[in-house]
Amino acid sequence: MRPILLQGHERSLTQIKFNREGDLLFSASKDHIINVWFTHNGERLGTYNGHNGTVWTIDVDSQSRFLLSGSADNEMRLWSVQTGKCLYVWEFPTAVKRVAFSEDDDQIVCITEQRMGYQGVVRVFNINRDGDGTNQSKEPVSEFSPIGSKATLCAFAHTPGVILMGHESGKVALFDANTGDEIQSNERAHMDVVTDMQLSPDRSYFITSSKDKTARLHETRTLVVLKTYSTETPLNSAAIALGKPYVLLGGGQDAMSVTTTSLRQGKFETRFWHKIFEEEVGRVKGHFGPINTIAVSPKGDCFASGGEDGFVRVHHFDESYFRAKPYGDLEISD
Amino acid sequence: EDAAEESNVSAELIAQRKRLVDEWNAWRARIKEDVADERRRRGKKLDSEGEQQSEESKEEIE
Repeated sequence: MRPILLQGHERSLTQIKFNREGDLLFSASKDHIINVWFTHNGERLGTYNGHNGTVWTIDVDSQSRFLLSGSADNEMRLWSVQTGKCLYVWEFPTAVKRVAFSEDDDQIVCITEQRMGYQGVVRVFNINRDGDGTNQSKEPVSEFSPIGSKATLCAFAHTPGVILMGHESGKVALFDANTGDEIQSNERAHMDVVTDMQLSPDRSYFITSSKDKTARLHETRTLVVLKTYSTETPLNSAAIALGKPYVLLGGGQDAMSVTTTSLRQGKFETRFWHKIFEEEVGRVKGHFGPINTIAVSPKGDCFASGGEDGFVRVHHFDESYFRAKPYGDLEISD
Repeated sequence: EDAAEESNVSAELIAQRKRLVDEWNAWRARIKEDVADERRRRGKKLDSEGEQQSEESKEEIE
């Protein structure tokens, strides 16, 4: 597997995202900057400058036209992917922890942090795609404060008007965007903070990672846990591979290997687990610190990881990866 | 070595994997149908609403 090292961030990575075609990779970091890179050669195409704090979260629409970002500077920004220009700024009382586009790119959802007497708030905005993108509405179409544990992750679920949330307590839940009512919840999806949540292409299932050292696959409609991947290390990110029955997990280091491993060796690994059999199938090492974020290209031909070490690594899969059938000739649906 | 390992994979394990894959594929088939139904329903709804945007926003308020 040919790794490409993307050097350009001065601090740790928080979230990375491929565009729909998989030719561009966006990266957000604690250094306040968002970068965009060509996936095939790792060349930096540009930067999105303007945030005055850690950029916690990014998302790109399916047309690669708009980029959305949320930051510790209490702002959410809409950017033109092509020009790097900031098109609109929303301001909130607290940090923006997660942003996401809807499937049709016509809405966005964001969550602001519960802090200093402010509740955590989920807001849904309509996105005006006419014109140059600068004419956005300041007011959300809906907003609500999820009950119970602090919420840190949000995404549009399988049907319109339903928001999928991940919580600090380990809970995952579905909320009605209009009424703020909890539709469905799994209080014990995890035993500790849910750190990442990524949906399958049709949004019918999703993966979560947690500090409780497990990652789990859930059915979106019912929140039933389908699969559990139990590791030895707190996990920061989990992604679903495409075209192959694997999930990719990233986080810290095994407690066991801390004493035997030098930090300089780049031993922090992305773990590949079999999606169905819940068994580890391989590891890709290279980072010099915990892995904070993992993304798989929508084409399924490569993946990227962003680390606490400030590096993004892009790995293009070899032919052998596509040929390999470690479990024989089993046909497995995506 | 590979061959040796392969022979160690018991018939039992192979059967269990087969069962897990069948279970998964059956679930995916069911869900894919649900998703398609849902999209068809929504597609229809969106078409009829497309002409009357004001009605659409009214509906959302309710």
